Amino acid sequence: MWVGLALALALTIAGSAFAASHASSKSTTVTISIGAEPPSLDPGLATDTTSATIIANINDPIIRLSQTPALTPLHTGLAQNWKVKGSTVTLYLRHNDHWTNGKPVTAQDVVGSWLRTISPELAADYAYQFYGIVGAQAYNSCDPSKADCNALRAKVGISAPNKWTVVIHLVSPQPWFIQQLSHTSFIPTYLPAIAKYGNKWTEAANIVTDGPFKLASWKHNASLTLVKNPKWRNASSIHVNRINIPIIVDAGTALNAYKAGKLQIDTSGFNPTDIPSLKKLPDWHVFPNLGTYYYGFNVKTITDVNERKALAAAIDRHAIVKYIGQLGQIPAQTFTPQGIANWQLINKSKWLPINGDDTASGLAIAKSYMAKAKNPVMNINLYVNNSAGHVQIAQAIQANWQKLGVSVNIKVLEWKQYLQFLGPPPDSSVGAYRLGWLADYPEDYDFLSLWTCKSGNNNTNWCNPQYDSLINQAVHTPNTEARVSLYQKAEALLTGKNGDMPIAPIYFYVGAYLEKTNVKGFYANPLGTDFFDGISVS
Amino acid sequence: MAKFVIRRVFWTIPVILLVILMTFGMMKAIKGNPFRNTERNIPAAIQHNLNREFHLDKPWYIQYAYYVKGVFTWNLGPSMLQRNQTVNDIVSETFPVSAELGGLAMLFAVIIGIPLGIIAALRQNSAFDYGAMAFSNIGFAVPSFLTSTLFLYFFALKWGNFTGFPTFGWSGFHSKVLPAIALGLAPMTYFARLVRGTMLETLQQDYIRTAKAKGLRWRRVVGLHVLRNSLIPAVTAAAPLLGYLVTGSFVIERIFAIPGIGQYYVTSVSSRDYSVTMGITVLLSILIIVANLLVDILYGFLDPRTRDLRT
Repeated sequence: MWVGLALALALTIAGSAFAASHASSKSTTVTISIGAEPPSLDPGLATDTTSATIIANINDPIIRLSQTPALTPLHTGLAQNWKVKGSTVTLYLRHNDHWTNGKPVTAQDVVGSWLRTISPELAADYAYQFYGIVGAQAYNSCDPSKADCNALRAKVGISAPNKWTVVIHLVSPQPWFIQQLSHTSFIPTYLPAIAKYGNKWTEAANIVTDGPFKLASWKHNASLTLVKNPKWRNASSIHVNRINIPIIVDAGTALNAYKAGKLQIDTSGFNPTDIPSLKKLPDWHVFPNLGTYYYGFNVKTITDVNERKALAAAIDRHAIVKYIGQLGQIPAQTFTPQGIANWQLINKSKWLPINGDDTASGLAIAKSYMAKAKNPVMNINLYVNNSAGHVQIAQAIQANWQKLGVSVNIKVLEWKQYLQFLGPPPDSSVGAYRLGWLADYPEDYDFLSLWTCKSGNNNTNWCNPQYDSLINQAVHTPNTEARVSLYQKAEALLTGKNGDMPIAPIYFYVGAYLEKTNVKGFYANPLGTDFFDGISVS
Repeated sequence: MAKFVIRRVFWTIPVILLVILMTFGMMKAIKGNPFRNTERNIPAAIQHNLNREFHLDKPWYIQYAYYVKGVFTWNLGPSMLQRNQTVNDIVSETFPVSAELGGLAMLFAVIIGIPLGIIAALRQNSAFDYGAMAFSNIGFAVPSFLTSTLFLYFFALKWGNFTGFPTFGWSGFHSKVLPAIALGLAPMTYFARLVRGTMLETLQQDYIRTAKAKGLRWRRVVGLHVLRNSLIPAVTAAAPLLGYLVTGSFVIERIFAIPGIGQYYVTSVSSRDYSVTMGITVLLSILIIVANLLVDILYGFLDPRTRDLRT
């Protein structure tokens, strides 16, 4: 009897082991943590990178960008081909893209979705992405309670002459528009589902998508589950069947779960104290995140350009990146970040020292400019928002500027009040402040346009008509070489030796994640969206 | 009793209105744009569209009227941050989780804390008493984020294979043990000290000495007379405690990755999600009012003198 029982037990164990291994070879599951509940999975309403990541994986973006620093538009997205002639862009959609309910994705879907996002009724935050299209800004600015906006809707420059072609009329030739189309706000939605379910159309039971993965379940604030879409046009290239996405806000908890083997990929962020030990692991991956962390000066307070140059030069970028940033951020000498198209040419006029304090020459340069300043402000209010990293950087820069004899009062504000305080125009007590800018699309216009006189993102009070005219010219210059030369002049006016230095760039952002060594293919693109379609587990 | 309850329910309405008014006033006072989450400024046209969508372009008394109407019809409006969710959705998804967590924590606090206090009082100045009170002091003093992190590190990560506790989440019985204990630890110690103190006081009373002198069994004296009187302060403390426990602990829920309502008490204010802030503040007020009402009813059973006073 005992022999029989032992045999039965052995067979059961062997059977379940066989089933387990057989199951794992049939169905691959990967668990990836994210750091927040996605506020919305509606491409028209999503504004953050967490939502964008999920949206980009359950849908087929119109344009996919290459996984190289050049971010070249590929022909593997919904748009199989395109033609750019002056201000007119024509997209030729592929014929084999289908919604999860079997219906084909057509040009009418694209046009209808875009008009919905531009409509004033939807009140989409990212409607401004469409402002480069004729009539879009006018339609979006219409007040439906005061006027009939349908007339303006009809004037928006997008049309679908046939089932597979989308024609877009831009306000000016914008050669980067194709790359801009990779943004999730351009992803088409299935309008009948929205009509039927209203606000609830993004729930897993109702959502209709067309991408490599389907949203199988969404337990709000707890987790999402994606499963492979077997009907996707390129389903054979997807090597993972199921992706569990738990929402883990706390970096320490995510790291614990990763160490316990419950996560294969950790994108929930990291506590600074953990970073030095994590950096040594082969699991650690760092990727460029197209954007600049900078300090802005209130040019009405710090009026002398020599003082601004001195302050910018005195910043020890190397130490900040090494001891506070710790992720391998790149010290920035210009506002245009590394990775923007033609950045090396644009940044030809860079001169700001990277080692402000390490090498005596950096500090000497700063002191020489300070000596030239006529009535320098010796006491500056430095405003930052309340996050440990920002305060530490402020303290480091306070010490740097102390060497020039400038005393700094660090003032910490809560985020929303901080933004309100900065205006524009900034509160008169502001001497310097910190902010960052992350790219929407990889063209320098997205960065340099911030510093025009009327820009809502210019909190420096700096207004230079020459700079404005350079930027205005650039956006109307389709020829790349000519346009790059204009950007170069603009950047020189901004951060060059003979520039006005309304800002002091500090570093270019990077991001980091952990990925188990037996998992490959997770891709975090420089615009902040993560792609799962290349993942494979060995 | 019925008159008492009806009067209390009737008085709830002005209290809720006051809560709405104060919350509304404070939210407007702290300023900040609900729709601007990143450094990107919002173009004027889009800001107008958003203000129109969420009634922020109306005068303040119209906005206030919307909130009052929303609360009394329990249609709390759309969330300004999570554009596809209404406040009702958020509450109905997250509140039951926090309620369960709070309930389990309260259960732990009551089941462990009260007997601990009772035994410590009955064995005053013994090793057990000193031990229990030392444990109480430590449990109350150590902050919850530290206990949570320590629990997770040891019981879930290091000894996880042995204990079976997961490192995050809220599904299945195993995932509920550590957060309930972490959340219930401070209330447990509070109850223990409270019950011990009151019991010691009650044990000195004349009528207890009389009962003992009369020859009643000590167990009966303690169980019937001493306990009933000693539990009154604990019951008083339990009411608001239940309200706070049930609306979730931000720290515990964050560290254990529990999808509860606690996070919204912090994030809805920092993100200026006015409708969510209003809805969950009113929810907490209603809970505390109900909890206080239940406690007052319970008083009637524990202390008959109050029953007479009431009518």
